[in-house]
Amino acid sequence: MTSLGQLDLDSETAFTLLPELVMLAGVLAIIVIPNLGDATFRLPLTRIRIPILVGGSRLESTNDPRLPNRIATLTFSVAFAASLLMIDSSSEEVGGLLRSDAFSRLFSAIFIGALLLVSAATTHRIPAKRNAAVPKDDDSENTASRKISVLMDNRRQVDFHILLIMVGLGMSLMAMSTNLFMLVVCIELASLSTYVLVAFHKEEEVGGEAGAKYFIVGSAASAVGIYGMSLLYLWAGDLALDSLATKWAEMQGLDPFAAFGIGLMMVAFGFKVSAAPFHLAAPDAYSGASSPISGLLATASKAMGFVALFRVLVMITAPDYGEESSWFLMLAIIAIITMTWGNLAALTSENPKRMLAYSSVAHAGYMLAAISVIGSGLAGEEGTKMILIAITFHLAVLVLFKLGAFLVLALLETGGRGHRMEDLHGLGRKEPLIAGSMFLFMLSLAGVPPLSGFLSKLLMVNGIVSSSADTGSSSATDVYSWMDTVDPVFWLAAAIVINSALSLFYYLRLSLVMFFEEPEKSPKIKSASSLRMAIMACSILTVLCGLGPVSEWLVSLVSTSIDSLMG
Amino acid sequence: MGENKSELGLLVYIIPFLAIVPALHSQGWDSSESAILIVAVPFVTFPVILVAGQLYNGHETWKDKLKEGGILALGALGTSLMAAIWLVYDYFDALPDFGDQNSIAHWLEWVSFDLLQSDYTLTSSKNILGVGVWVDSLTLMLLFVATFLCFLICWFSLGYMNTDPINDDRNHRFYGEFVLFALGMFGMVLADNFLWLFIFWEIMGLCSYLLIGFYYWKESAAYAAKKAFLTTRVGDVFLMVGLFMLYDIYGSLEFSVIFHDPSLHGAVDSTQLFWALLMMFIGAVGKSAQFPLHVWLPDAMEGPTPVSALIHAATMVNAGLYLVARMVPFVDVGHHGVPGLEDLGLIIAYVGGITAFMAAAIAFVQNDIKKVLAYSTMSQLAYIFTGLGAALWFYNHDEHHAAVVVFGASMFHLFNHAMAKGMLFMASGSVIHEVHHAHDHLHHGDGHHDFDPQDMRNMGGLASKMPVTATAMMVGSMSIIGIPLIGGFWSKEGIIAETWLAALDHEPLMIGPAILVLLTAGMTGFYMSRMWFMTFAGEPKSDVVNHVHEETPWIKQPLIILTAISAFGGMAFALLGATDYLSSSYGGSGHLRLHESTLLDSIIYKLEYAFLPKNQNLRIVGWTTIFLSFIVGPIFAARVHGGQLAKGESATPVVSWLVSLSGKFGSQDVTSLSESDLAEALENRLYFDELYEGVLAKTVIPFAAFAAWFDRAVIDGVIKQIESNSVSGSLQVRTLTTGSARDYILMTAVGMLSIIVLVWGISS
Repeated sequence: MTSLGQLDLDSETAFTLLPELVMLAGVLAIIVIPNLGDATFRLPLTRIRIPILVGGSRLESTNDPRLPNRIATLTFSVAFAASLLMIDSSSEEVGGLLRSDAFSRLFSAIFIGALLLVSAATTHRIPAKRNAAVPKDDDSENTASRKISVLMDNRRQVDFHILLIMVGLGMSLMAMSTNLFMLVVCIELASLSTYVLVAFHKEEEVGGEAGAKYFIVGSAASAVGIYGMSLLYLWAGDLALDSLATKWAEMQGLDPFAAFGIGLMMVAFGFKVSAAPFHLAAPDAYSGASSPISGLLATASKAMGFVALFRVLVMITAPDYGEESSWFLMLAIIAIITMTWGNLAALTSENPKRMLAYSSVAHAGYMLAAISVIGSGLAGEEGTKMILIAITFHLAVLVLFKLGAFLVLALLETGGRGHRMEDLHGLGRKEPLIAGSMFLFMLSLAGVPPLSGFLSKLLMVNGIVSSSADTGSSSATDVYSWMDTVDPVFWLAAAIVINSALSLFYYLRLSLVMFFEEPEKSPKIKSASSLRMAIMACSILTVLCGLGPVSEWLVSLVSTSIDSLMG
Repeated sequence: MGENKSELGLLVYIIPFLAIVPALHSQGWDSSESAILIVAVPFVTFPVILVAGQLYNGHETWKDKLKEGGILALGALGTSLMAAIWLVYDYFDALPDFGDQNSIAHWLEWVSFDLLQSDYTLTSSKNILGVGVWVDSLTLMLLFVATFLCFLICWFSLGYMNTDPINDDRNHRFYGEFVLFALGMFGMVLADNFLWLFIFWEIMGLCSYLLIGFYYWKESAAYAAKKAFLTTRVGDVFLMVGLFMLYDIYGSLEFSVIFHDPSLHGAVDSTQLFWALLMMFIGAVGKSAQFPLHVWLPDAMEGPTPVSALIHAATMVNAGLYLVARMVPFVDVGHHGVPGLEDLGLIIAYVGGITAFMAAAIAFVQNDIKKVLAYSTMSQLAYIFTGLGAALWFYNHDEHHAAVVVFGASMFHLFNHAMAKGMLFMASGSVIHEVHHAHDHLHHGDGHHDFDPQDMRNMGGLASKMPVTATAMMVGSMSIIGIPLIGGFWSKEGIIAETWLAALDHEPLMIGPAILVLLTAGMTGFYMSRMWFMTFAGEPKSDVVNHVHEETPWIKQPLIILTAISAFGGMAFALLGATDYLSSSYGGSGHLRLHESTLLDSIIYKLEYAFLPKNQNLRIVGWTTIFLSFIVGPIFAARVHGGQLAKGESATPVVSWLVSLSGKFGSQDVTSLSESDLAEALENRLYFDELYEGVLAKTVIPFAAFAAWFDRAVIDGVIKQIESNSVSGSLQVRTLTTGSARDYILMTAVGMLSIIVLVWGISS
């Protein structure tokens, strides 16, 4: 194992790690600032009192329970801008374990962007109120419990936002890791925080139960993954990705340690991307968590899993052109099971959050199918690049329309609803803009042109087809004989297309009930301005990223980052 | 008049629109670049009007100041008109040569089709769908006609639509659809390939449907809209097939590609091209309401009168003519055209001749003022088709001079007819509007049901009540009839003479259309005069007439402008050599100027050319035409329907002279004639509707029933089966999600073991 190296925090390193340092500063600020008080220290023997800020009664300005949310939002904004600006800068090694390059910075931008949206939504989802009243003796039971829950919400602000920033820190560092060990540690840093976030509403039974289940299954998967990693270490004596890749390329035949090591790590990463059959806890977790957190799991957390898969499958074990890798068949089978399972289960879901969870499983299946094509050895360098661009682009725009859909549910949850299909009834009449956005998100998830979901799916299917279609016999005289000769990889594209057709059913059903069902009598949806703004931003970008200059810009950005990944 | 002034003051609001074109000019744009405005400005405006109407209906500013969107529409159409005039001004005297230079602006290479070859490789081809502008004399003429009439009719609509309470809070729909229609027409004229032409063609079809059904709660209007849509659809399907065939031949639909060398150096099979062009012609037949797809046009008069004026007289129905005119390069053997297509010209001429005669005959017995005009439109369009048919025939025989003359005459007739007929419809609208108001005024709104303000049997003697309208309608009718020296005379003469020339000197089969159009000239004289006399001459036939006043604002100005154009425009353009100019793309001289050096010489030359041509046959045909249309038709009409005005009533000088003249021919009782079987058959439109309905009931409806059954039982059945299988699969899959963490870990373990087994299998 290489030495962990000295981490000199000189100004250059500080700049390279700017987004991470900003988030670290954000955590410290959230811990410190709300505790600032008016305590003073009297110099002995004098009357001079020096304010020491810590202790005493809190200052008026720091007493505001909304402060943590504001600090978190600010932190994410700065970190997001920094990541985005750093995509074009050159690749920098930090301390032998991390590397900041276009690839890692693109992904930290995706992660932090998602977190920024979540933090904007949280302002209203877990609202903090100034001057919350303490229940009095003569309050009725209802009033008292309502007052208590407001007080509880105020108290939890700090915890929640620290966890949120820790998720960002873990994910962002994870994208930069060049060492498998570091990679797994960072994944665990992010994951542990998400387990707590899922269970954050501990007074609600579903939340606690979902969090516990997610934690148990997740730690089992992680344990298997770490065991796989240890097998790899036994085999290679090193966990740096570069040396693992060299070692793999030199390997004659297939070393069982290496093969099982990779196979077992698939379990851990499969859980992260919610691939079947490791996805089972995901729908429970999504429906138990508050909607912004579910959205976080469905986008950033999933993207994290895919970064790990890129690192391990593409960087270490990618086969040469024309050779089939050992994991191709395994991944292709998992991909097809995952997408079919996800879509079938979503068909009859009566809970929109569960439905979106299963849809997210199905999307993982599409992306895994695309990755497996790299393993088939048909893709070649150009094809590999095309597929990686497609998946990365999909992960980027998924933040817009998958998280956007969860934000719409979050808006409904501010009125105490959002976990039944009936809660969406008649939304089109009450909230035409929000319902219109939700409709856009659904169309984009289904992959309807000209939205960004279509472009990403098109890129993916195009990558698969252009890698595999050439294998079909060019002398075939009709379609059937051509179909006989084409490589089975081609049918992965067909599976994606058939599954997409199936998925339209439930996406459109959700849209249908919004516009054509009578609304139920229910409390008014809150105004929640920043949440609405976040939804609007998501829907506008969903359109813009599908067609025209913005989409071209994004694709070229993704393309740069994939260039830097592939060296 | 005071109110009138303040109404016209609203024109202030269109100034921002009108400033667009000068502003761009000062920025250094040239007219070909700004041609996109002609379509783009209406394209932006129409959704604005529709949405704003939904939001602000009933709002005072919206209703009174913006006329429920009418002012916005007028502004947008004004912009188009200015941009169009700019384009015409820049190009009319400097037309590019025939060939690909006609494509003066090409903005966007939009789609290129990759073709899947039989060996499953994709080839990129030259088949690019771009967005561009094609300019030749046809484009310029029709573009001017369309923008100018759209503007004037929109102006007229402000008076016609907004003063009728039945339209309150609905006018935004009218103006929105009106503007959408206008952009369709402009786009079709400017398009530089057949695909765009087809797209805009369909936009017009849609708007025609929407506007005919504007009063959709009236069963007849809804029925008429459906009928128009479906009938033109029949033609459109053929047009589409024709375009597919054309694409198959040339691999492109771009004018610049196709027209460059339509014979592809002799490689094009004339039979295939013949069928392609014939299919396209059927499309034109549907759009221009020619036999046998003519049945929709009379019913289309259910729409508001400005719509009839614009779509069903002045612009959209010309689309078919335009399409046929665009076929000239294919048949022009002097210009790489394909020989052996003369049958096409013959077919077109026959369709034209039959329609002209039939429509004129049906117009004899119509009592609804708009229906007369509708049949007159059909008949006049048929003239142009006959002319174009003859032109195509001449082109295909390389009779270059004759071809150019009759092609130019046809296009010139299109111009004259559009101006006159647009104005006639507006004038009829004026009559209907005022009679309707007078009736409302008289009966305070009750008794609506048994009074038809469009029925000429309720009118008579309106000449003194509506001087402007009466004059306008007189001039328009004269132009349509072809009274010597006025409007349509200059163009109609050419069509009839050249058709006869073709029949006598070249092709005996052409004699059919030749005789039919000649007879129709006389019949036109009768039915147009009959309409005018019934409406304006004689004594009032109902008490309503005495309460008619001509005072609605916005209505008179367009009438006056178009009266002037109809009266003198034909003569002026004829002197400038319009027929030669309009065929300049296809061999004409290409400049608008006097034939001789001085005006007087030119006039003498033109008169000699029109009345004393050197060819003996032409002279006979010409004078027969004049005799039939000028003398026989009108006098017969005057004998039946003419009459003095009531005592003490007076009209403008020419009109009152005409009215008193009509009274001098005495009256003839035609009751026995009007009760004959023939009259009844004509009144029932020769039973075409019954025939079509009978045929449809026997063929299409059983097939539709079968298709519906197939859809329900087989297609839906399969889909339902897939659905129910998916749902049961879904329920089974979901039972695996038990909710217990123990089971989840079990599944994880199963997954892990499968991975190990798979990897083990690969590695060993």
